[in-house]
Amino acid sequence: MIKTCDVLVIGGGPAGLAAAISAHKEGARVVLVEREARLGGILKQCIHDGFGLVRFNEKLSGPEYAERFIDEFRELGIESKLLTFVTSLERIPEGFKATLVSRDGVEVYETKTVILATGCRERTSKQVFIHGTRPAGIFTAGTAQHFTNLLGQLPTKRCVILGSGDIGLIMARRLTLEGAEVVGVYEVKPTPSGLTRNIHQCLNDYNIPLHLSHTVTRVFGQDRLTAVEIAEVDDHMKPISGTEEIIDCDALILSVGLIPENEIAETLDVQIDPRTKGPICDAHLMTTVPGIFSCGNALHVNDLVDYVSESGETAGKYAAHFAIGTDRVPVEIHPNENILYIVPQRIDLSEDNHETVVYFRSKEVFEKATFRIVADGKTLFEKRYTFLKPPEMEKVVVDFASFNIRANTAIRAEVEVEGQ
Amino acid sequence: MPNIKKIQRKLDKKYGGKVQVTLEDDIIRLTGELENWSDVYGACAMAATKRSNVHVVNDIKFTGAEVPPMRVPSLTDNAVDGKTPDVLVIGGGISGCAIARELSKWDMSVMLIEKNPDFAMGASGANDGEVHVGFDLSKGSLKQKYVLLGNKLYDKLCADLDVPFRREGQYVLFTQWWLFVPLFFFVLWRKYHDGVKDSHFVLRGKIRRDQPTFDKKILFGVYNDTAGVVCPYGLTIALAENAVENGVEAYLNTAVLSMDTNENGGIVAVHTNRGTIKPRVVVNAAGVFADDIAEMAHDRFYSIHPRRGTNSIQDRKSANIIDTVASVQHVNLALAKSHTKGGGLMRTVHDNVLAGPDAVETYAKEDTATHPESIKVTYDKQKGTVPLASERDIITYFTGVRAPTYEEDFVIEWGRKCSNMLHCSGIQSPGLTAAPAFALDIEKMVVERIALIKPVEKKQKWNPVRHGVPVLKDMSPAKRAAYIQKNPDYGVIICRCEEISKGEIIDCLNRPLCPPTVDAIKKRIRPGMGRCQGGFCSPLITKIIAEHEDIALSDVRKSTAESVICFGETKGGSTND
Repeated sequence: MIKTCDVLVIGGGPAGLAAAISAHKEGARVVLVEREARLGGILKQCIHDGFGLVRFNEKLSGPEYAERFIDEFRELGIESKLLTFVTSLERIPEGFKATLVSRDGVEVYETKTVILATGCRERTSKQVFIHGTRPAGIFTAGTAQHFTNLLGQLPTKRCVILGSGDIGLIMARRLTLEGAEVVGVYEVKPTPSGLTRNIHQCLNDYNIPLHLSHTVTRVFGQDRLTAVEIAEVDDHMKPISGTEEIIDCDALILSVGLIPENEIAETLDVQIDPRTKGPICDAHLMTTVPGIFSCGNALHVNDLVDYVSESGETAGKYAAHFAIGTDRVPVEIHPNENILYIVPQRIDLSEDNHETVVYFRSKEVFEKATFRIVADGKTLFEKRYTFLKPPEMEKVVVDFASFNIRANTAIRAEVEVEGQ
Repeated sequence: MPNIKKIQRKLDKKYGGKVQVTLEDDIIRLTGELENWSDVYGACAMAATKRSNVHVVNDIKFTGAEVPPMRVPSLTDNAVDGKTPDVLVIGGGISGCAIARELSKWDMSVMLIEKNPDFAMGASGANDGEVHVGFDLSKGSLKQKYVLLGNKLYDKLCADLDVPFRREGQYVLFTQWWLFVPLFFFVLWRKYHDGVKDSHFVLRGKIRRDQPTFDKKILFGVYNDTAGVVCPYGLTIALAENAVENGVEAYLNTAVLSMDTNENGGIVAVHTNRGTIKPRVVVNAAGVFADDIAEMAHDRFYSIHPRRGTNSIQDRKSANIIDTVASVQHVNLALAKSHTKGGGLMRTVHDNVLAGPDAVETYAKEDTATHPESIKVTYDKQKGTVPLASERDIITYFTGVRAPTYEEDFVIEWGRKCSNMLHCSGIQSPGLTAAPAFALDIEKMVVERIALIKPVEKKQKWNPVRHGVPVLKDMSPAKRAAYIQKNPDYGVIICRCEEISKGEIIDCLNRPLCPPTVDAIKKRIRPGMGRCQGGFCSPLITKIIAEHEDIALSDVRKSTAESVICFGETKGGSTND
């Protein structure tokens, strides 16, 4: 038998939970699909604190943060399908047809809209072109975190961490606390990738050295990893010959970037922004395929979960609106060369654009910079920053309704650097 | 007969008297001392005549590096001690497994041993999976003979063994007009002289219509429609499983350490790390170690020179760039011919794009480390086939070591000094294609030999059919639902990239010969083969193995006994969820 709903949320992490709650509050019939046995997504294994500072003005652990949403989700009686996997998503005249596999068998749902809250995956050692043997002991930071925090197993006694992404920094501290030795964190870029607060709290406080402009070039060991070769890199991030050094260790832990998971989106020809690696979205987080919405880390990689929840709420609200049906008028926002990316990439004139949340990252570290939104030459929004850093996502609220934007209006987002 | 004086003169000229050559007992033996492996290889190759059965034996002392000894499993027990099989097959690659399966038709005892913790751990595991047509081979070689026969056997073999196989066809492409006429006649020659019946000459227009992703510089080419792709390790494991289902005794982690021979040159005992075996006949299918095994039986009449090759696998997302096997050939008359067709680009049977392999001579028989140059070389070349091929879509890469002789042909014959060793050596490309065919000939040779000692009959009941673990992902929704109803674990997806369920993983663990390791499951049913490379599923699979085997999580291994994944409980200990 085919079941129906207004909004099908794929993914039960922070983005999906917030999306489902907000869509439900807007009056939509919501079903949330989660492939794991429990809700909460990757937050389940994030036992460190620091979650919720922006949203709740409190320092929560990952599971505590997730619990607040799970409790609300349960209280509202929203339908969830756990241990359930979406095997296909197809377009039909009424919207979309999703095929779900679970212990109960194969189910088909027809839904008016879909919210993709599928999160992201970690870049692997081969994707950063590490060569050598193929021993046990090469883990992405999230996998090492799964072993340590969910399975209670120590994946290393002495490790090297490649990449200064936040999970890598968190794991440096976590493994140190578990009695493992973290020889050092090596970062190919000249600046750290993770949040400044994590550099202090996870590395400096534990005397773990951070080596910038260094990378791992090779791994050794037939059975279990026995050593890695590190090297300094030049301005083009290419290893400098002669700087190689062998470090004995039993594990290489990688925190070399996250990739939004959009494989289901791509089967529906949702357009992907090569910069964010997530779908191109309007201010209501609808993708280029009407009825498909995106939020959280599937949309773009966030550094704070608070923003993940926020984007989930936006997607949930407007997916519910869409299920009712309105004509949409998208207008592109064009970022300038100092901006790594901006989300949303477009706004929709048919909706209320008084308080549109805009996220962006600068391309490089800039001192004394100004962020502006300009419509047909008129500045709609301006904010000055002492510092803009790519690892730290910025959030602003823009009143697009203050200007009479039409379909042919040229909207630009600019970062202007003093003296540049 | 080779002209030894002439060879010596050539060697002297190139290596300044550092290498001596002798001809004795139909063996061209090279001795001396050299510092570079490329010189050792070069000297032996210089002395060798292609496809000759007078082989080069390399006794040159290589002083440039320490040649690593054969890796032997740490396990020692008496599992095989005192066994007296009629036939002992050494090596669990495609050759050994195919031979063991053919021999299992007969009412005699057959034993298959492999030193690694799983089958297909050498060249068979790192093979690109192409089922060749033999377009590049001339009549007169064993390679050519068996590739033609083997190719034809694949449909039935793979259907019987439940192994995915697809005839995707193969293009050999050219960008140089001056090759047009020579190639035209070459195709005719192959067809009428060498028996490669299905090669077609194809021109630019048709190539562009049929393969719009191919590079626009391609002018013409040859299309072979019977070329195919298979999962090389999947087939090897299936052959081993079917052999065991038909009575073959197979032992992993079992390495041959030495042999005892009698005064007639016959092997009387084979010593392993797990006890001594006393076989009537030994089949040497030991791949890169075939010459070492031959030496143990005092019958080393050829040398293996290891040749490394690296393949890259691209994300399935990029599978739409190619649906066949293709490679562009640039002919440069000024350059010497190298021993590789230069690899190619292909869609694998699991819908990934594979690029490679390259070919690098090495002294280290088990050095499967990868190097950045291999990826660069392969992609520089393959972008000339399909410009959309991109290193950025690579999800993994791996290296295998080929086992050629200096004559670059297979050695399939009885020992020259050892009466009861059958050599199946020098197996390299197209060994995967050829294996089902030469296994039949080896079966005949072995059975004839055993028949001299005792009567041998075909088994009344021999079952050629093997069923693999069901692939839920490929089933219709109704069939999938029926499977889940029988076993709800089929509905729990563990590997999200390849869509593998818990039920399939447990089925896999319950199969004969499946070592309870993360890699063994990955090889058999693919969890961890996708774009996240096991990032999400490896902890889950570790846990499923621990529960299934009733062992601690820290006792689960990636592959070998020493490939520890976890070192035991954290301070907080294990949770029960």
